[in-house]
Amino acid sequence: MTPLLIAQIVLTLFVFVMLLNSAAIMVYVERKVAGMLQQRLGPYLVGPKGVLQPLADVVKLMFKEELRPRAADAFLFALAPIISATCAFAAFAVVPFGAETTFFGLLREPMKLQVADVNVAILVIFAIASMGVYGIVLAGWSANSKYSLLGGLRSSAQMISYELSYGTALAAVLLMANSMSLTAIVEKQAGAWLLFGWPVLPRWFVFPQIVGFLVFMTAGIAETNRAPFDFPEAEQELVAGYHTEYSSMSFAMFFLAEYINMVTVSAVATDLFLGGWQGPFADSIGWLWFLIKVAALLFFYVWMRWTLPRYRYDQLMAFGWKVLLPVAVVNLLVTAAGVLYFGA
Amino acid sequence: MAPEIVAFYLFGAIAVGASLLVIAQRNPIYSVLLLIASFGALSGLYVLLDAPFVAVIQIIVYAGAIMVLFLFVVMLLNAPHEETDYDERVHPLLRPGPMRFGAALALLLVVELGWALGRGGDSGRFPGGAVTSVADIGRALFTDYAFPFEVTSILILVAMVGAVVLARREEHH
Repeated sequence: MTPLLIAQIVLTLFVFVMLLNSAAIMVYVERKVAGMLQQRLGPYLVGPKGVLQPLADVVKLMFKEELRPRAADAFLFALAPIISATCAFAAFAVVPFGAETTFFGLLREPMKLQVADVNVAILVIFAIASMGVYGIVLAGWSANSKYSLLGGLRSSAQMISYELSYGTALAAVLLMANSMSLTAIVEKQAGAWLLFGWPVLPRWFVFPQIVGFLVFMTAGIAETNRAPFDFPEAEQELVAGYHTEYSSMSFAMFFLAEYINMVTVSAVATDLFLGGWQGPFADSIGWLWFLIKVAALLFFYVWMRWTLPRYRYDQLMAFGWKVLLPVAVVNLLVTAAGVLYFGA
Repeated sequence: MAPEIVAFYLFGAIAVGASLLVIAQRNPIYSVLLLIASFGALSGLYVLLDAPFVAVIQIIVYAGAIMVLFLFVVMLLNAPHEETDYDERVHPLLRPGPMRFGAALALLLVVELGWALGRGGDSGRFPGGAVTSVADIGRALFTDYAFPFEVTSILILVAMVGAVVLARREEHH
C-alpha cells in the first residue's frame, strides 16, 4: 500500500469518528445553550460542567430494550434508521474541510482534506440528502402507528417542498463559481472584495449572495427537521413523529442522523458561502477556520431552536412555496444576469 | 477480471434482479423500494460509463423526487396488497379484455428484446468522445436538443397546470 492510500484510509476513519463526536458535542452544546437561554444550568453533574453527559446518554440508550410494535413491518422497521444514519454519514464524504496538505512533510505528495473529490460534489450531497428522506418516510410507515405515519407524511411533504428552494439557492452560487466542485468553489473565494482598490471584505460568496445564503440556511433548517420547522416530530401533536415507536439504538440512529445532517448542512454552507477554509494562514491552519465557521453556524442552529416557536403546518407550506421559492428563483435570475453582465 | 467488469456485472445483476422483483412483489411499498434499488444500480452503471453527472441526476430526479411521490401515494392509500378481481390460476392470455391486451404487449416486448439482444454487435455504442462535463451537457441541451428540450418543458407545464386545475377547491361564498 502506498502512503497516500494509507493516509486516505486514515482520513476516512477520522471523518467518520469526528462525525460521531460532533453529534455527541452537539448534544451537550444544545442542552447547555438551551439551559443558558432559559436561565438554568443545563447538565452539570456528569463530569466537569457536565461534559460527559452525552457519554452517559449513549450508555443509557445502549442498555435500553429494543421494542417493535407487533403490527410493524419488521424488515422496513429495522431498515429505516439504518438508511437515515448511512445517508447522514455518506453526505459528508464529498465535503472538503481544508486546503491540500502534506501533514508537515509526512507525505511526499500533498493530499486533499476530503474523503472523495467528486467534480459534481454539490449534486452528490443533494442526491444523498434526497435518499435520506426514505429513512424518515419508511420509519413513519413501517411502525404502523398513526403518529408515526403522520410524522413521516409531514416530513416527506416538507422535504420535497424545501428541497426546491435549497437547490435553487445552491444554483446561484454555482453560477458565480462556475463549478460544481466544492474545492473549486472554496478556492474561488480566496482574497478580498475591493472597494476603490482597497480590500474591504473577504471574498466570500455570502456578501454578493446574502439572499441566497438566507434562503439556503432557512431551507437547510427545514431539511434537517429542526425547530422552528420540526413538524415531523412536533411533540404536542404527534408525540414524537416518525420515531415515536423507536427505542434504544435505533432511536439513537435517528438522533445521530439529525445532528450529523446539521453538521453537514453547516459545512456545506461554510464551503459555499463563508469561504470554507479561507482566512489568514489558510495553508497551515485552514481547517481551524473551517471548524470555527461551522461551529458558528451550528450555534446559530441551536440558538434558533430555543428562540423561535414552531410554525403552523399550513404556514410552513405557504412560506416554502409562496415566499422562499419565488425569492430563490428571483435571486437566481438576478445572479445569472449579473454573471452575464460582469463576467464570472 | 478487471474491477470495472466486476462492478458492471454486479450493478447489472442488481438492476435486472430488482426490476424483476418489482413486478413479482405483492406489496406495493416493496415494489417502490425495489424500483429505487434498480435506479441506484443504473446510476452505478452510469458512473462506470464516465457519466457522473447523469448518474447523480438519475438519483436526484428518479430515485429521489419521483419515487418519494410514489411512496407518498402508496402510503396515503395504505394499500398493503394489490387487489385481484380475477382468477389467478387462469393464464394471463386467457383473462378478459384489457388484461389480455396487456399480456399480448408484454409478449411483443419479450420478442423484441430477444431479437435486439440476438443481433449482438456494437451497434448500440456511442461514437467516441462522450459528453461528460456539465458545461458540455448544458451546451448540447440548449443547441442540438433545444427543440425536444422545450417540447418537454411545455409538456411538464401542461401537466402542472392540469394538476393545479384538478386540485383546486371550489370556493363557496
